[in-house]
Amino acid sequence: MIRREEVLLDFTSRFHADILDLEDKSNTRVYVNITPESIVKIGTYLFRNVGARFNIATASDLPPNIEILYHFLIEDINLLISLRVFLDREKPEIESLAKDIEAFNWIEREMSELLGITFIGHPDPRRLLLADNWPEGICPLRQDYEEWDQTADRTRGV
Amino acid sequence: MSLKLKALLKSPWVFHLSTGSCNNCDIETLDCLTPRFDIERFGMLLVGSIKHADVLLVSGSCNRMSVERMKELFEQVPKPCLVVAIGTCAGSRGIFKDSYNCPVPLDKIIPVDVYIPGCPPKPEAIIAGAVKLIEKVGGTL
Repeated sequence: MIRREEVLLDFTSRFHADILDLEDKSNTRVYVNITPESIVKIGTYLFRNVGARFNIATASDLPPNIEILYHFLIEDINLLISLRVFLDREKPEIESLAKDIEAFNWIEREMSELLGITFIGHPDPRRLLLADNWPEGICPLRQDYEEWDQTADRTRGV
Repeated sequence: MSLKLKALLKSPWVFHLSTGSCNNCDIETLDCLTPRFDIERFGMLLVGSIKHADVLLVSGSCNRMSVERMKELFEQVPKPCLVVAIGTCAGSRGIFKDSYNCPVPLDKIIPVDVYIPGCPPKPEAIIAGAVKLIEKVGGTL
């Protein structure tokens, strides 16, 4: 039976060069700020070697950065490790994890279309959710999103 | 009132369509069919195919993807047909008025006969809406 302290100690000693900050939020929750270049290395290690389940990834546009959180859950000890990366808002680019792990495929496609993040090396970078007539290059969840549809009706309608 | 419409109102068969709702309106609609409310005793039956339906029941805020499907479904309903908007989203888009994905309200796309407001509307409200729908087109229950 692995223990929480062992996992965190092993993790931090292995990747101490890539970890910018570690926030021990609670007994079940750890936030780790890492450099964007190391996400494939650390994510793959957590998924393949530690046996963590990839829960979900979340991204949000928080000027001056776009941040992505990759949530990995180690179910044996009920520990949720959230890897947090900060990307440049003008040109958000990060290495794709979907090349190696299928579970990242759809969530990376969704983040890519809603926030305009480029996932380098994604095997299938098509659109996932937005409508077919949605114009290319407009990201609805960006803070500076503006209405593009001239036919849109913003009255109550009734 | 035309003979077709009169016959339709004896037992209006209902097709239920969700255009991106949060599922609460759909759950309340299904509640109407459970033994407690049992709307089937008025002849209202939920059907699986739009081609069997007399009433189109729309819930949800009409997002860009589902609006195209809704238009196709509306073309396939045997006419005359009646349209009911269930819930605040279908009635006025509610909190999604300024959403990037909900450009046009339901009643600007297809003609709506009865609105049932509420978020979600209670089964009692849905039954009252059904009664109003029948009264509106001139039938009696």
